[in-house]
Amino acid sequence: MHILVVEDEPVIRNELKILLENALYRVSVLDRFDAVLEQVKSKKPDLVLMDVNLPGISGFDICTQIRGQMDVPVIFLTSRTDSMDELTGILKGGDDYITKPYQAPILLARIGAVLKRTKGAKTKEVTQFTRKGVELDVSGCRLSYQGANVELTKNEMKILYLLFCHKGEFVARMDLIEYLWENQIFIDDNTLSVHITRIRDKMKQIGVYDFIETRRGMGYRI
Amino acid sequence: MNLKNYLKDKCLLLILHLVCMGVLAGFLRMTGYNSGNVILIVICWLMILCAWLTVTYLQRKKYFQEVEQILEQMDQRYLLGELLPDSFRLEDQLYRDMIRRSNKSVIERIHQIEDAQKDYKEYIESWVHEIKAPITSIGLLGENGRKQRNKADADALYRESFRILSLENQKIENYVDMALYYARSEEVYKDYLIRETDLQSVAYEVLEKNRLLLIQNKVKAEVDCKDMVYTDRKWIAFILNQMILNSVKYKNDSPEFHIYTERGEHGVILVLEDNGVGIRQEELSRIFEKGFTGSNGRNHERSTGMGLYLCRKLCEKLGIGIRAESEYGQGTKMMLEFPVSNYISRE
Repeated sequence: MHILVVEDEPVIRNELKILLENALYRVSVLDRFDAVLEQVKSKKPDLVLMDVNLPGISGFDICTQIRGQMDVPVIFLTSRTDSMDELTGILKGGDDYITKPYQAPILLARIGAVLKRTKGAKTKEVTQFTRKGVELDVSGCRLSYQGANVELTKNEMKILYLLFCHKGEFVARMDLIEYLWENQIFIDDNTLSVHITRIRDKMKQIGVYDFIETRRGMGYRI
Repeated sequence: MNLKNYLKDKCLLLILHLVCMGVLAGFLRMTGYNSGNVILIVICWLMILCAWLTVTYLQRKKYFQEVEQILEQMDQRYLLGELLPDSFRLEDQLYRDMIRRSNKSVIERIHQIEDAQKDYKEYIESWVHEIKAPITSIGLLGENGRKQRNKADADALYRESFRILSLENQKIENYVDMALYYARSEEVYKDYLIRETDLQSVAYEVLEKNRLLLIQNKVKAEVDCKDMVYTDRKWIAFILNQMILNSVKYKNDSPEFHIYTERGEHGVILVLEDNGVGIRQEELSRIFEKGFTGSNGRNHERSTGMGLYLCRKLCEKLGIGIRAESEYGQGTKMMLEFPVSNYISRE
Protein backbone atom coordinates (compact mmCIF):
# COMPACT_ATOMS: atom_id res chain seq x y z
CA MET A 1 0.00 0.00 0.00
CA HIS A 2 1.33 3.35 -1.04
CA ILE A 3 0.68 6.39 1.16
CA LEU A 4 1.40 9.96 0.15
CA VAL A 5 2.12 12.40 2.96
CA VAL A 6 1.31 16.05 2.24
CA GLU A 7 2.68 17.89 5.25
CA ASP A 8 4.77 21.07 5.34
CA GLU A 9 6.39 20.63 8.75
CA PRO A 10 9.66 18.81 7.91
CA VAL A 11 10.08 17.05 11.28
CA ILE A 12 6.53 15.75 11.32
CA ARG A 13 6.91 14.73 7.67
CA ASN A 14 10.03 12.69 8.30
CA GLU A 15 8.80 11.06 11.47
CA LEU A 16 5.50 10.26 9.86
CA LYS A 17 7.39 8.62 7.02
CA ILE A 18 9.42 6.51 9.45
CA LEU A 19 6.31 5.59 11.42
CA LEU A 20 4.42 4.50 8.34
CA GLU A 21 7.40 2.64 6.90
CA ASN A 22 7.75 0.78 10.19
CA ALA A 23 4.12 -0.19 9.75
CA LEU A 24 5.14 -1.64 6.34
CA TYR A 25 3.57 0.95 4.08
CA ARG A 26 5.30 2.40 1.06
CA VAL A 27 5.57 6.14 1.67
CA SER A 28 6.15 9.18 -0.53
CA VAL A 29 6.32 12.74 0.70
CA LEU A 30 5.85 16.07 -1.01
CA ASP A 31 8.21 18.92 -0.35
CA ARG A 32 6.74 21.43 -2.76
CA PHE A 33 3.16 22.55 -2.42
CA ASP A 34 2.58 24.51 -5.62
CA ALA A 35 1.15 21.87 -7.92
CA VAL A 36 -0.06 19.31 -5.47
CA LEU A 37 -2.75 17.89 -7.71
CA GLU A 38 -0.23 17.04 -10.48
CA GLN A 39 2.13 15.50 -7.97
CA VAL A 40 -0.65 13.42 -6.47
CA LYS A 41 -1.67 12.27 -9.94
CA SER A 42 1.85 11.26 -10.91
CA LYS A 43 2.52 9.38 -7.65
CA LYS A 44 -0.77 7.42 -7.80
CA PRO A 45 -1.00 6.72 -4.08
CA ASP A 46 -3.55 4.43 -2.41
CA LEU A 47 -4.13 6.98 0.31
CA VAL A 48 -3.28 10.63 0.94
CA LEU A 49 -2.51 12.04 4.38
CA MET A 50 -3.23 15.73 4.01
CA ASP A 51 -2.28 18.52 6.36
CA VAL A 52 -4.96 21.21 6.35
CA ASN A 53 -2.68 24.23 6.75
CA LEU A 54 -0.23 24.21 3.90
CA PRO A 55 1.81 27.21 2.78
CA GLY A 56 -0.36 29.27 0.47
CA ILE A 57 -3.16 26.76 0.10
CA SER A 58 -5.61 24.89 2.25
CA GLY A 59 -5.67 21.12 2.32
CA PHE A 60 -9.44 21.33 1.94
CA ASP A 61 -9.07 23.04 -1.44
CA ILE A 62 -6.55 20.48 -2.63
CA CYS A 63 -8.94 17.76 -1.58
CA THR A 64 -11.70 19.36 -3.65
CA GLN A 65 -9.34 19.44 -6.64
CA ILE A 66 -8.37 15.82 -6.13
CA ARG A 67 -12.01 14.78 -5.77
CA GLY A 68 -12.74 16.36 -9.12
CA GLN A 69 -10.34 14.01 -10.89
CA MET A 70 -9.67 10.89 -8.87
CA ASP A 71 -11.17 8.99 -5.97
CA VAL A 72 -8.12 8.29 -3.87
CA PRO A 73 -9.05 8.31 -0.15
CA VAL A 74 -7.91 11.38 1.78
CA ILE A 75 -7.33 11.63 5.53
CA PHE A 76 -6.98 15.14 6.93
CA LEU A 77 -4.44 15.88 9.60
CA THR A 78 -4.94 19.12 11.42
CA SER A 79 -4.05 20.91 14.59
CA ARG A 80 -7.42 22.62 14.73
CA THR A 81 -9.85 20.91 17.06
CA ASP A 82 -12.85 22.67 15.76
CA SER A 83 -16.17 21.05 14.95
CA MET A 84 -16.74 23.36 12.00
CA ASP A 85 -13.41 22.35 10.53
CA GLU A 86 -14.19 18.71 10.97
CA LEU A 87 -17.47 19.20 9.19
CA THR A 88 -15.75 21.06 6.36
CA GLY A 89 -13.30 18.21 6.07
CA ILE A 90 -16.08 15.68 5.67
CA LEU A 91 -18.01 17.88 3.25
CA LYS A 92 -14.93 18.43 1.08
CA GLY A 93 -14.77 14.71 0.53
CA GLY A 94 -12.28 13.64 3.20
CA ASP A 95 -12.54 10.07 4.39
CA ASP A 96 -11.38 10.78 7.91
CA TYR A 97 -10.23 13.66 10.03
CA ILE A 98 -7.50 13.26 12.64
CA THR A 99 -6.44 16.03 14.98
CA LYS A 100 -2.88 16.71 16.05
CA PRO A 101 -1.22 15.67 18.21
CA TYR A 102 -2.21 12.22 17.09
CA GLN A 103 -1.45 9.01 18.85
CA ALA A 104 0.54 6.73 16.55
CA PRO A 105 -1.56 3.58 17.24
CA ILE A 106 -4.78 5.50 16.60
CA LEU A 107 -3.39 7.07 13.43
CA LEU A 108 -2.36 3.66 12.12
CA ALA A 109 -5.67 2.10 13.07
CA ARG A 110 -7.61 4.77 11.22
CA ILE A 111 -5.38 4.55 8.15
CA GLY A 112 -5.97 0.81 8.20
CA ALA A 113 -9.71 1.30 8.52
CA VAL A 114 -9.91 3.74 5.60
CA LEU A 115 -7.80 1.49 3.37
CA LYS A 116 -9.95 -1.48 4.28
CA ARG A 117 -13.12 0.42 3.51
CA THR A 118 -12.01 2.00 0.25
CA LYS A 119 -9.66 -0.57 -1.25
CA GLY A 120 -11.08 -3.64 0.39
CA ALA A 121 -7.49 -4.19 1.42
CA LYS A 122 -7.12 -7.12 3.70
CA THR A 123 -4.68 -6.39 6.43
CA LYS A 124 -2.26 -9.11 5.63
CA GLU A 125 -1.96 -10.38 9.15
CA VAL A 126 -0.25 -13.63 9.63
CA THR A 127 -2.56 -15.88 11.56
CA GLN A 128 -0.25 -18.83 11.98
CA PHE A 129 3.14 -18.72 13.70
CA THR A 130 5.56 -21.51 14.39
CA ARG A 131 8.61 -21.50 16.61
CA LYS A 132 10.53 -24.59 17.69
CA GLY A 133 7.57 -26.78 16.78
CA VAL A 134 5.09 -24.74 18.84
CA GLU A 135 2.25 -23.41 16.73
CA LEU A 136 0.24 -20.30 17.52
CA ASP A 137 -3.12 -20.09 15.78
CA VAL A 138 -4.20 -16.48 16.04
CA SER A 139 -7.68 -16.79 14.55
CA GLY A 140 -8.51 -19.88 16.59
CA CYS A 141 -6.87 -18.52 19.74
CA ARG A 142 -5.04 -21.81 20.23
CA LEU A 143 -1.56 -23.06 20.98
CA SER A 144 -0.58 -26.49 19.73
CA TYR A 145 2.45 -28.73 20.01
CA GLN A 146 2.73 -32.20 18.52
CA GLY A 147 -1.01 -32.60 18.15
CA ALA A 148 -1.88 -31.37 21.65
CA ASN A 149 -3.99 -28.19 21.88
CA VAL A 150 -4.66 -25.62 24.52
CA GLU A 151 -7.10 -22.69 24.40
CA LEU A 152 -5.82 -19.19 25.12
CA THR A 153 -7.59 -16.16 26.55
CA LYS A 154 -7.54 -12.88 24.63
CA ASN A 155 -4.84 -11.44 26.88
CA GLU A 156 -2.60 -14.50 26.66
CA MET A 157 -3.12 -14.50 22.91
CA LYS A 158 -1.95 -10.89 22.55
CA ILE A 159 1.13 -11.51 24.70
CA LEU A 160 2.15 -14.54 22.69
CA TYR A 161 1.38 -12.74 19.43
CA LEU A 162 3.91 -10.03 20.19
CA LEU A 163 6.53 -12.57 21.32
CA PHE A 164 6.03 -14.64 18.17
CA CYS A 165 6.34 -11.49 16.05
CA HIS A 166 9.78 -10.93 17.52
CA LYS A 167 11.11 -14.46 17.42
CA GLY A 168 14.59 -14.73 18.88
CA GLU A 169 14.61 -11.19 20.25
CA PHE A 170 14.07 -10.01 23.76
CA VAL A 171 10.87 -8.07 24.22
CA ALA A 172 11.04 -5.69 27.20
CA ARG A 173 8.23 -5.95 29.74
CA MET A 174 7.56 -2.27 29.24
CA ASP A 175 7.12 -2.75 25.49
CA LEU A 176 4.87 -5.72 26.11
CA ILE A 177 2.66 -3.76 28.46
CA GLU A 178 2.55 -0.80 26.11
CA TYR A 179 1.58 -3.06 23.24
CA LEU A 180 -1.24 -4.50 25.38
CA TRP A 181 -2.49 -0.99 26.27
CA GLU A 182 -2.52 -0.14 22.58
CA ASN A 183 -4.76 -3.15 22.14
CA GLN A 184 -7.23 -2.19 24.86
CA ILE A 185 -5.84 -4.50 27.51
CA PHE A 186 -5.08 -2.20 30.39
CA ILE A 187 -2.95 -4.21 32.80
CA ASP A 188 -0.04 -3.47 35.10
CA ASP A 189 3.33 -5.10 35.58
CA ASN A 190 2.19 -7.64 38.20
CA THR A 191 -0.73 -8.78 36.11
CA LEU A 192 1.66 -9.35 33.21
CA SER A 193 3.70 -11.70 35.39
CA VAL A 194 0.53 -13.55 36.33
CA HIS A 195 -0.37 -13.95 32.67
CA ILE A 196 3.10 -15.19 31.77
CA THR A 197 2.90 -17.76 34.58
CA ARG A 198 -0.48 -18.93 33.28
CA ILE A 199 0.88 -19.21 29.75
CA ARG A 200 3.78 -21.31 31.04
CA ASP A 201 1.33 -23.55 32.91
CA LYS A 202 -0.73 -24.01 29.78
CA MET A 203 2.41 -24.84 27.82
CA LYS A 204 3.33 -27.50 30.35
CA GLN A 205 -0.09 -29.06 29.76
CA ILE A 206 0.79 -29.68 26.13
CA GLY A 207 4.33 -30.74 26.92
CA VAL A 208 6.26 -27.55 26.11
CA TYR A 209 8.89 -26.65 28.69
CA ASP A 210 11.15 -23.61 29.02
CA PHE A 211 9.80 -22.09 25.83
CA ILE A 212 9.67 -18.52 27.14
CA GLU A 213 13.04 -17.34 28.32
CA THR A 214 13.21 -14.59 30.93
CA ARG A 215 16.20 -12.35 31.43
CA ARG A 216 16.34 -9.72 34.10
CA GLY A 217 16.25 -6.21 32.72
CA MET A 218 15.80 -7.48 29.15
CA GLY A 219 12.38 -9.02 29.09
CA TYR A 220 11.08 -12.18 27.49
CA ARG A 221 12.25 -14.15 24.47
CA ILE A 222 11.02 -17.15 22.62
CA MET B 1 -38.33 56.27 49.95
CA ASN B 2 -40.73 56.58 52.84
CA LEU B 3 -42.48 59.50 54.50
CA LYS B 4 -39.97 59.80 57.29
CA ASN B 5 -36.87 60.29 55.18
CA TYR B 6 -38.86 62.43 52.77
CA LEU B 7 -39.70 64.81 55.60
CA LYS B 8 -36.14 64.67 56.80
CA ASP B 9 -35.04 65.66 53.31
CA LYS B 10 -37.48 68.58 53.38
CA CYS B 11 -36.58 69.65 56.92
CA LEU B 12 -34.93 72.90 55.84
CA LEU B 13 -38.06 73.86 53.94
CA LEU B 14 -40.21 73.00 56.97
CA ILE B 15 -38.05 75.07 59.27
CA LEU B 16 -38.25 77.98 56.82
CA HIS B 17 -42.04 77.74 56.81
CA LEU B 18 -42.28 77.50 60.61
CA VAL B 19 -39.99 80.48 61.06
CA CYS B 20 -42.00 82.48 58.53
CA MET B 21 -45.21 81.48 60.33
CA GLY B 22 -43.75 82.65 63.65
CA VAL B 23 -42.60 85.94 62.16
CA LEU B 24 -45.98 86.52 60.49
CA ALA B 25 -47.87 85.62 63.69
CA GLY B 26 -45.67 88.01 65.72
CA PHE B 27 -46.09 90.79 63.16
CA LEU B 28 -49.87 90.37 63.01
CA ARG B 29 -50.16 90.32 66.82
CA MET B 30 -48.16 93.55 67.05
CA THR B 31 -50.36 95.28 64.46
CA GLY B 32 -53.39 94.49 66.63
CA TYR B 33 -54.96 91.38 65.09
CA ASN B 34 -56.76 89.29 67.65
CA SER B 35 -55.19 85.89 68.39
CA GLY B 36 -58.16 83.89 67.01
CA ASN B 37 -57.57 85.30 63.51
CA VAL B 38 -53.80 84.73 63.72
CA ILE B 39 -54.34 81.05 64.66
CA LEU B 40 -56.77 80.69 61.76
CA ILE B 41 -54.21 82.07 59.31
CA VAL B 42 -51.46 79.80 60.65
CA ILE B 43 -53.75 76.75 60.46
CA CYS B 44 -54.65 77.60 56.86
CA TRP B 45 -50.99 77.95 56.03
CA LEU B 46 -50.22 74.61 57.67
CA MET B 47 -53.00 72.88 55.76
CA ILE B 48 -51.81 74.23 52.44
CA LEU B 49 -48.26 73.21 53.29
CA CYS B 50 -49.38 69.69 54.24
CA ALA B 51 -51.39 69.29 51.08
CA TRP B 52 -48.46 70.40 48.98
CA LEU B 53 -46.07 68.09 50.77
CA THR B 54 -48.45 65.14 50.37
CA VAL B 55 -48.90 65.69 46.68
CA THR B 56 -45.20 66.06 45.95
CA TYR B 57 -44.42 63.10 48.19
CA LEU B 58 -46.83 60.89 46.23
CA GLN B 59 -45.48 62.16 42.92
CA ARG B 60 -41.90 61.49 43.87
CA LYS B 61 -42.72 58.12 45.29
CA LYS B 62 -44.45 57.11 42.08
CA TYR B 63 -41.54 58.35 40.00
CA PHE B 64 -38.94 56.45 41.97
CA GLN B 65 -41.04 53.31 42.10
CA GLU B 66 -41.21 53.44 38.35
CA VAL B 67 -37.42 53.82 38.09
CA GLU B 68 -36.95 50.99 40.57
CA GLN B 69 -39.21 48.76 38.53
CA ILE B 70 -37.37 49.52 35.30
CA LEU B 71 -34.09 48.75 37.04
CA GLU B 72 -35.53 45.49 38.33
CA GLN B 73 -36.60 44.35 34.88
CA MET B 74 -33.41 45.34 33.14
CA ASP B 75 -30.92 42.81 31.99
CA GLN B 76 -28.01 45.18 31.81
CA ARG B 77 -28.55 47.72 34.53
CA TYR B 78 -25.80 50.02 33.43
CA LEU B 79 -28.10 51.06 30.59
CA LEU B 80 -30.56 52.70 33.03
CA GLY B 81 -29.85 56.19 31.73
CA GLU B 82 -31.50 55.34 28.41
CA LEU B 83 -34.71 54.16 30.02
CA LEU B 84 -35.31 56.76 32.76
CA PRO B 85 -38.92 58.07 32.58
CA ASP B 86 -39.46 61.64 31.41
CA SER B 87 -39.83 64.17 34.13
CA PHE B 88 -40.62 67.88 34.02
CA ARG B 89 -38.32 68.54 36.97
CA LEU B 90 -35.03 70.20 36.21
CA GLU B 91 -33.13 68.07 38.73
CA ASP B 92 -34.42 64.83 37.22
CA GLN B 93 -33.42 66.01 33.77
CA LEU B 94 -29.95 66.98 34.91
CA TYR B 95 -29.44 63.70 36.73
CA ARG B 96 -30.67 61.75 33.75
CA ASP B 97 -28.22 63.51 31.55
CA MET B 98 -25.34 62.80 33.90
CA ILE B 99 -26.30 59.15 34.33
CA ARG B 100 -26.40 58.83 30.57
CA ARG B 101 -22.93 60.27 30.21
CA SER B 102 -21.57 58.10 32.96
CA ASN B 103 -23.20 55.01 31.48
CA LYS B 104 -21.74 55.80 28.13
CA SER B 105 -18.25 55.68 29.52
CA VAL B 106 -19.04 52.44 31.36
CA ILE B 107 -20.25 50.91 28.13
CA GLU B 108 -17.16 52.05 26.31
CA ARG B 109 -14.98 50.56 29.00
CA ILE B 110 -16.89 47.27 28.86
CA HIS B 111 -16.49 47.09 25.11
CA GLN B 112 -12.81 47.77 25.47
CA ILE B 113 -12.40 44.97 28.00
CA GLU B 114 -14.52 42.61 25.93
CA ASP B 115 -12.42 43.29 22.88
CA ALA B 116 -9.20 42.79 24.80
CA GLN B 117 -10.54 39.57 26.24
CA LYS B 118 -11.65 38.34 22.85
CA ASP B 119 -8.26 39.14 21.35
CA TYR B 120 -6.55 37.33 24.17
CA LYS B 121 -8.78 34.30 23.80
CA GLU B 122 -8.24 34.16 20.08
CA TYR B 123 -4.53 34.45 20.64
CA ILE B 124 -4.60 31.58 23.16
CA GLU B 125 -6.52 29.45 20.68
CA SER B 126 -4.15 30.13 17.83
CA TRP B 127 -1.19 29.69 20.14
CA VAL B 128 -2.52 26.29 21.15
CA HIS B 129 -2.81 25.32 17.51
CA GLU B 130 0.72 26.52 16.87
CA ILE B 131 2.14 24.60 19.79
CA LYS B 132 0.43 21.44 18.68
CA ALA B 133 2.71 21.11 15.66
CA PRO B 134 5.89 20.78 17.75
CA ILE B 135 4.05 18.55 20.24
CA THR B 136 3.12 16.31 17.34
CA SER B 137 6.72 16.25 16.08
CA ILE B 138 8.06 15.37 19.51
CA GLY B 139 5.36 12.74 19.96
CA LEU B 140 6.23 11.07 16.67
CA LEU B 141 9.96 11.30 17.42
CA GLY B 142 9.37 9.61 20.76
CA GLU B 143 7.16 6.97 19.23
CA ASN B 144 9.65 6.14 16.50
CA GLY B 145 12.54 6.27 18.97
CA ARG B 146 10.84 3.82 21.28
CA LYS B 147 9.77 1.45 18.57
CA GLN B 148 13.04 1.16 16.72
CA ARG B 149 15.02 -1.95 17.47
CA ASN B 150 18.75 -2.07 17.09
CA LYS B 151 20.86 -4.94 18.17
CA ALA B 152 23.06 -3.00 20.53
CA ASP B 153 22.45 -3.50 24.26
CA ALA B 154 22.91 0.16 25.11
CA ASP B 155 19.68 0.43 23.24
CA ALA B 156 17.60 -0.12 26.35
CA LEU B 157 18.80 3.13 27.89
CA TYR B 158 18.32 4.97 24.65
CA ARG B 159 14.78 3.78 24.32
CA GLU B 160 14.06 4.55 27.95
CA SER B 161 15.01 8.18 27.23
CA PHE B 162 12.56 8.25 24.36
CA ARG B 163 9.89 6.82 26.61
CA ILE B 164 10.42 9.60 29.13
CA LEU B 165 10.40 12.11 26.29
CA SER B 166 7.05 10.81 25.11
CA LEU B 167 5.68 10.77 28.63
CA GLU B 168 6.65 14.36 29.32
CA ASN B 169 5.34 15.38 25.92
CA GLN B 170 2.01 13.83 26.82
CA LYS B 171 1.94 15.92 29.99
CA ILE B 172 2.55 19.05 27.95
CA GLU B 173 -0.29 18.07 25.66
CA ASN B 174 -2.64 17.65 28.61
CA TYR B 175 -1.73 21.05 30.03
CA VAL B 176 -2.08 22.71 26.64
CA ASP B 177 -5.49 21.11 26.18
CA MET B 178 -6.58 22.53 29.51
CA ALA B 179 -5.69 26.03 28.37
CA LEU B 180 -7.54 25.53 25.09
CA TYR B 181 -10.69 24.19 26.67
CA TYR B 182 -10.62 26.85 29.35
CA ALA B 183 -10.43 29.54 26.69
CA ARG B 184 -13.34 27.92 24.90
CA SER B 185 -15.45 27.11 27.92
CA GLU B 186 -17.53 30.27 27.63
CA GLU B 187 -18.59 29.53 24.10
CA VAL B 188 -19.13 25.83 23.98
CA TYR B 189 -22.08 26.30 21.66
CA LYS B 190 -19.78 27.53 18.90
CA ASP B 191 -17.92 24.28 18.74
CA TYR B 192 -20.34 21.54 19.37
CA LEU B 193 -21.22 18.59 17.21
CA ILE B 194 -23.72 16.24 18.79
CA ARG B 195 -23.54 12.71 17.53
CA GLU B 196 -24.29 9.29 18.81
CA THR B 197 -21.16 8.61 20.79
CA ASP B 198 -19.77 5.28 21.83
CA LEU B 199 -18.45 5.86 25.34
CA GLN B 200 -16.44 2.67 25.16
CA SER B 201 -14.30 4.04 22.34
CA VAL B 202 -13.95 7.39 24.10
CA ALA B 203 -12.67 5.61 27.20
CA TYR B 204 -10.28 3.51 25.11
CA GLU B 205 -9.00 6.61 23.38
CA VAL B 206 -8.31 8.43 26.64
CA LEU B 207 -6.62 5.46 28.28
CA GLU B 208 -4.49 4.82 25.21
CA LYS B 209 -3.52 8.44 24.99
CA ASN B 210 -2.25 8.44 28.56
CA ARG B 211 -0.86 4.93 28.42
CA LEU B 212 2.73 5.86 29.27
CA LEU B 213 1.68 7.81 32.34
CA LEU B 214 -0.74 5.10 33.44
CA ILE B 215 1.72 2.27 32.87
CA GLN B 216 4.37 4.15 34.79
CA ASN B 217 1.94 4.47 37.70
CA LYS B 218 1.15 0.74 37.51
CA VAL B 219 -2.47 1.33 36.76
CA LYS B 220 -4.86 -1.47 35.89
CA ALA B 221 -8.01 -0.46 34.12
CA GLU B 222 -11.21 -2.07 33.01
CA VAL B 223 -13.68 -0.56 30.61
CA ASP B 224 -17.26 -1.67 30.27
CA CYS B 225 -19.40 0.99 28.62
CA LYS B 226 -22.21 -0.61 26.69
CA ASP B 227 -24.50 2.37 26.43
CA MET B 228 -24.47 4.94 23.68
CA VAL B 229 -25.18 8.60 24.37
CA TYR B 230 -25.80 11.67 22.25
CA THR B 231 -23.10 14.19 22.92
CA ASP B 232 -19.97 15.84 21.59
CA ARG B 233 -17.15 13.35 21.61
CA LYS B 234 -14.29 15.84 21.90
CA TRP B 235 -15.61 17.55 25.03
CA ILE B 236 -16.44 14.28 26.74
CA ALA B 237 -12.98 12.95 25.96
CA PHE B 238 -11.49 16.06 27.54
CA ILE B 239 -13.63 15.74 30.68
CA LEU B 240 -12.87 12.04 31.06
CA ASN B 241 -9.20 12.81 30.51
CA GLN B 242 -9.21 15.29 33.37
CA MET B 243 -10.97 12.82 35.65
CA ILE B 244 -8.48 10.08 34.83
CA LEU B 245 -5.53 12.40 35.43
CA ASN B 246 -7.02 13.20 38.83
CA SER B 247 -7.38 9.53 39.62
CA VAL B 248 -3.73 9.00 38.75
CA LYS B 249 -2.68 11.96 40.85
CA TYR B 250 -4.50 10.73 43.92
CA LYS B 251 -3.78 7.04 43.58
CA ASN B 252 -2.98 4.35 46.09
CA ASP B 253 -0.25 1.74 45.82
CA SER B 254 -1.93 -0.52 43.31
CA PRO B 255 -4.33 1.68 41.40
CA GLU B 256 -7.28 0.08 39.65
CA PHE B 257 -9.67 2.09 37.50
CA HIS B 258 -13.04 0.90 36.47
CA ILE B 259 -14.91 2.82 33.78
CA TYR B 260 -18.45 1.71 33.16
CA THR B 261 -21.90 2.95 32.28
CA GLU B 262 -25.15 2.33 34.07
CA ARG B 263 -28.72 3.25 33.34
CA GLY B 264 -29.93 5.84 35.81
CA GLU B 265 -33.33 7.33 36.39
CA HIS B 266 -32.86 10.14 33.90
CA GLY B 267 -30.37 8.70 31.50
CA VAL B 268 -27.03 7.04 31.11
CA ILE B 269 -24.39 7.49 33.79
CA LEU B 270 -20.72 7.15 32.98
CA VAL B 271 -18.77 6.17 36.09
CA LEU B 272 -15.06 6.32 36.72
CA GLU B 273 -14.31 4.39 39.87
CA ASP B 274 -10.87 4.28 41.40
CA ASN B 275 -9.37 2.88 44.57
CA GLY B 276 -7.31 5.96 45.31
CA VAL B 277 -6.94 8.10 48.40
CA GLY B 278 -10.53 9.33 48.22
CA ILE B 279 -11.92 12.68 49.25
CA ARG B 280 -12.80 13.75 52.79
CA GLN B 281 -16.53 13.95 53.38
CA GLU B 282 -16.38 17.59 54.40
CA GLU B 283 -14.50 18.52 51.23
CA LEU B 284 -16.64 16.54 48.81
CA SER B 285 -19.07 19.35 48.16
CA ARG B 286 -16.30 21.78 47.32
CA ILE B 287 -14.14 19.84 44.88
CA PHE B 288 -15.73 21.46 41.84
CA GLU B 289 -14.98 24.96 43.08
CA LYS B 290 -12.40 27.04 41.29
CA GLY B 291 -9.05 26.95 43.00
CA PHE B 292 -10.11 24.44 45.62
CA THR B 293 -7.29 22.01 46.31
CA GLY B 294 -8.29 20.54 49.65
CA SER B 295 -6.14 18.44 51.93
CA ASN B 296 -5.37 15.98 49.11
CA GLY B 297 -4.19 18.75 46.86
CA ARG B 298 -1.87 20.16 49.48
CA ASN B 299 -0.32 16.77 50.14
CA HIS B 300 0.24 15.98 46.49
CA GLU B 301 2.23 17.59 43.78
CA ARG B 302 0.93 20.53 41.83
CA SER B 303 -2.76 20.87 42.31
CA THR B 304 -4.19 23.90 40.64
CA GLY B 305 -7.82 23.40 41.56
CA MET B 306 -8.69 24.02 37.93
CA GLY B 307 -9.32 20.55 36.52
CA LEU B 308 -12.61 19.68 38.17
CA TYR B 309 -13.78 23.28 38.08
CA LEU B 310 -13.35 23.23 34.33
CA CYS B 311 -15.11 19.85 34.13
CA ARG B 312 -18.11 21.18 35.98
CA LYS B 313 -18.21 24.31 33.89
CA LEU B 314 -18.14 22.35 30.65
CA CYS B 315 -20.69 19.85 31.95
CA GLU B 316 -23.05 22.70 32.75
CA LYS B 317 -22.72 24.00 29.22
CA LEU B 318 -23.22 20.57 27.75
CA GLY B 319 -26.20 19.76 29.93
CA ILE B 320 -24.45 16.87 31.62
CA GLY B 321 -24.66 16.24 35.34
CA ILE B 322 -21.39 15.74 37.19
CA ARG B 323 -21.01 14.51 40.74
CA ALA B 324 -18.66 12.60 42.96
CA GLU B 325 -19.01 10.01 45.67
CA SER B 326 -16.12 9.05 47.81
CA GLU B 327 -15.08 7.23 50.89
CA TYR B 328 -11.91 8.65 52.36
CA GLY B 329 -9.09 6.16 52.00
CA GLN B 330 -11.18 3.78 49.92
CA GLY B 331 -11.62 5.42 46.56
CA THR B 332 -13.70 7.79 44.53
CA LYS B 333 -16.52 7.47 42.05
CA MET B 334 -16.85 10.27 39.54
CA MET B 335 -20.11 10.25 37.66
CA LEU B 336 -21.24 11.93 34.47
CA GLU B 337 -24.94 11.78 33.85
CA PHE B 338 -26.13 12.10 30.27
CA PRO B 339 -29.79 12.98 30.23
CA VAL B 340 -31.96 11.11 27.78
CA SER B 341 -34.41 13.65 26.56
CA ASN B 342 -37.98 12.45 26.25
CA TYR B 343 -38.45 15.04 23.60
CA ILE B 344 -35.99 13.37 21.27
CA SER B 345 -36.54 9.74 22.05
CA ARG B 346 -40.33 10.03 22.44
CA GLU B 347 -40.42 7.38 25.06
